Amino acid sequence: MGSTENQSILIVDDEEIIRDFLSEVLEDYEISLACDGDEAIDRLHERSFDLVITDLRMPKVPGEEVVKAVRELRPEAKVIVISGYSSLYTVSQSVCHGACAFLSKPFSIKELMQTVTSALEDGEAQNG
Amino acid sequence: MTRRWFNSGIDLRLKFVLPISAIVMAAMVILSGYLIKRQAAGFYRELETNGQTLIKILAINAESGVLFESPYELDALLGTLHHFGSVEYCLIKNLEGETISHVGQNHIAAEDLQSLRDLGRATMALESGYFMDRRDRELFVLMSSITTEKKVLHRETLGMTGGVDQSLTASMVSETIGWIELGMTVGTVQKATDDATWAAVLLALLVLLATIFVVALIVNAVIKPITTLADATDKISRGDFSTTVDIDQRDEIGQLAKNFNRMTESLTQSREEIEQYNRTLEEKIIERTGQLEDAQAQLIQSEKMGAIGQLAAGVAHELNNPLGGILGYSQFTLEKMRKNIPEKTTAKEIRSYLRYVGDIELQARRCKTIVQNLLRFSRSSRTVEFDEVDVNRVMEETLTFVEHQLRISQMELEVDLGSSLPRIQGNAGQLQQIFTNLIINAMHASESGASIQINSRYCPALGEFGGTVEFSVTDTGHGIAKEDLKKIFEPFFTTKEVGKGTGLGLSVSYGIVKEHGGEITVESEIGEGTTFTVILPVQKKEPTADIDRGTSNEQRV
Repeated sequence: MGSTENQSILIVDDEEIIRDFLSEVLEDYEISLACDGDEAIDRLHERSFDLVITDLRMPKVPGEEVVKAVRELRPEAKVIVISGYSSLYTVSQSVCHGACAFLSKPFSIKELMQTVTSALEDGEAQNG
Repeated sequence: MTRRWFNSGIDLRLKFVLPISAIVMAAMVILSGYLIKRQAAGFYRELETNGQTLIKILAINAESGVLFESPYELDALLGTLHHFGSVEYCLIKNLEGETISHVGQNHIAAEDLQSLRDLGRATMALESGYFMDRRDRELFVLMSSITTEKKVLHRETLGMTGGVDQSLTASMVSETIGWIELGMTVGTVQKATDDATWAAVLLALLVLLATIFVVALIVNAVIKPITTLADATDKISRGDFSTTVDIDQRDEIGQLAKNFNRMTESLTQSREEIEQYNRTLEEKIIERTGQLEDAQAQLIQSEKMGAIGQLAAGVAHELNNPLGGILGYSQFTLEKMRKNIPEKTTAKEIRSYLRYVGDIELQARRCKTIVQNLLRFSRSSRTVEFDEVDVNRVMEETLTFVEHQLRISQMELEVDLGSSLPRIQGNAGQLQQIFTNLIINAMHASESGASIQINSRYCPALGEFGGTVEFSVTDTGHGIAKEDLKKIFEPFFTTKEVGKGTGLGLSVSYGIVKEHGGEITVESEIGEGTTFTVILPVQKKEPTADIDRGTSNEQRV
C-alpha cells in the first residue's frame, strides 16, 4: 500500500454533513469537495483525481452524470457511488457507467475505508 | 234523467223516498179516483132503482084514491113517504093535470120539468131525469101514470046467444086515470160520494206516510252499512288500516262488508310487507353504504400508500443522510477516543469531540422529526378525528417531505404563508395528503427549473360567513385542457403517463376537502400553468353538495 499523502479524492454530495464526515475520515488523503454534479464536473475539468466518491441523487446534475464525466474526462480515476437510494436499478446503472464500488448509506467507517483502499490499490496496480 | 237524479248532491235517503212516494201517490190517486167513480155510479144506480120501485108502489096504491078522487086516501098514502129521507116531493095529478095530493115542495122550474111530463104522457111509461132546482140542488125526478083495470063488454055476442049471463064476454083494459111525480134528492148520494172521497184521501195519506216510513226504514237499513263502509274507507284513506266494518248481514251488503274487511286485511298485510321490505332495504342500504365507506376508506388508504411509495425514495434519502452522519461520527468518535489516551487529549480535540457529539444529537433529532411526520402522514383515515389544526404548520410539515424531491427536480419553491391564520377544525393527516398530492401534481406538470408557488391566506368572518382559510398551489406547467378539467376530480382520471399516477390523488383530495366542508377549485390555461385552491371553513360545516361541474375552465367542488 503506497503513501496516501499524494492520493487525491473528490467528494461529491449535496449533504454538508456527509461531505464533512467523509473529509474527516479521509483526512489522510488530499480531499476536494463538490456540493453538486456541476461543481464536480468543473473540478474534473480542472484536474485529475485518484478517486471520486459521489452521491447519486443531487440537484441539477445527478451522480450518474458525474460518473459519466469521470469516464470521459479522467478515465484513470476510480469512482465510488454512495447513495441512500439503493435499488437494483441505481446500482446497476452506476456500475454500467463505470463505478467501481457502491456504498449504501448509512455505511460504517470500516466499510468505507476498505472500499476506498481497495479502489485506490486497483488504480495503482492498473496505472502501474 | 235517472242518472242525473242519482248523480245529484241530494241526500241518498231523499233520492229513494221522493220518487217512491211520488209513484205511490200517483197510484193511490188513480186507484181512488177509479174506485170513487165506481162507487158514485153505484150510488146513483141504487137511487134510481129505489125511485123506480117506490113510484111503482105508489102508482098502484094511488089507484083507488085517484079513481074515487079521495084526497084523504092519497094524503095518507103520501104521508108514508116521510120514512124515505131521500124523497123531496111527490105529486099526484088527475088526467086534467090538477094536483090531487102532494107532499114536500117542488122547487124545480115548471118549464124544466115540462119536457119530462110531456114525454111521460106521450109514452105512458115510467120516465125519469135529473134536474137542478132553484136552490141549486140536484134532484132525480120520476114520472109514472096511474092506471086502473076496466072490463070491456063485447056487445056483438049478446044477440046471438039470447041469454045475458052466458052470452056476455069481457076483456080487461088498462086505463090511465092520473099521474104521479116523485122528486128524490141526489144530496145523499153526493154526501156518500164525498165521504168516500174523503176516506180515500185519508187512506192515500196514510198509505203515503206508511210508504215514506217503510221506504225510509229500508233505505236506512241499506244506507247505514254504506255509511259505515264510507267512514271506514275514509279512515283507511287517512292511513288507519286497522279499521274493520262490523256488518252482520247475509245479503249483498254483508258480502260487501266481508270483502271490504278482507281487502283491509290484505292491505294491512301488504303494507306490513312493504314496510318490512323497506326496513330490509334500509338495512341493505346501510350495509352497502358501510361497504362503500369501507371501500372508499380502503381507496383513500391505498392512494395514501401510493403517495407514500412515491415519496419513499426521497424520505429514505432524507433519512439515510443524517443516519450516515450519526453512524459515521459516532464510530469516528469512538475510534478517535480509543486511539488517544484521555490525558493526552488536547483542548482542540475536546472541542471536536463536543462538536461530533453535538452533530450526533442534531442529526438524531432530524431523524426523529422525519419519522414522526412519516407516521402522521400514514395514519389510517378510517378513524378520522377532527381537531384544531394549524394549517400553515401542516403545509410546512408537508414541505419537509417534498422539498428534497423538488430540489432534485430543480424546482424552486416560492412559499408565502399568510400570518395570523386561525386554527381550523380538521384532520392534519388528511390535509397533509391533499397538499402532498397538489405539490406532486404541480411538480409533474412543470419543467425542470420552473417554480411552484404556495400561498395561504385568511378570509376573515363577515356576518353569517364564518371565515375561511385558503391554500393555493400554482405551477407554471403545461396546463390542463378544458375537456380534462371537467373530469379532473373523477376517480382514476389521469393525464400522467402510465405508472406515474393512479388517477386517484385529486378524487381523494376532493373527498377529503368535502369532509372538511370545504371547496377545491382549479383554474388552468394551456401552456401557462394551473392553480389549485383549497378553501377550508374555519368552523367545520356539513359537507357541501356537489356543485354543477360546468364547462368553464374553473372547476369547483
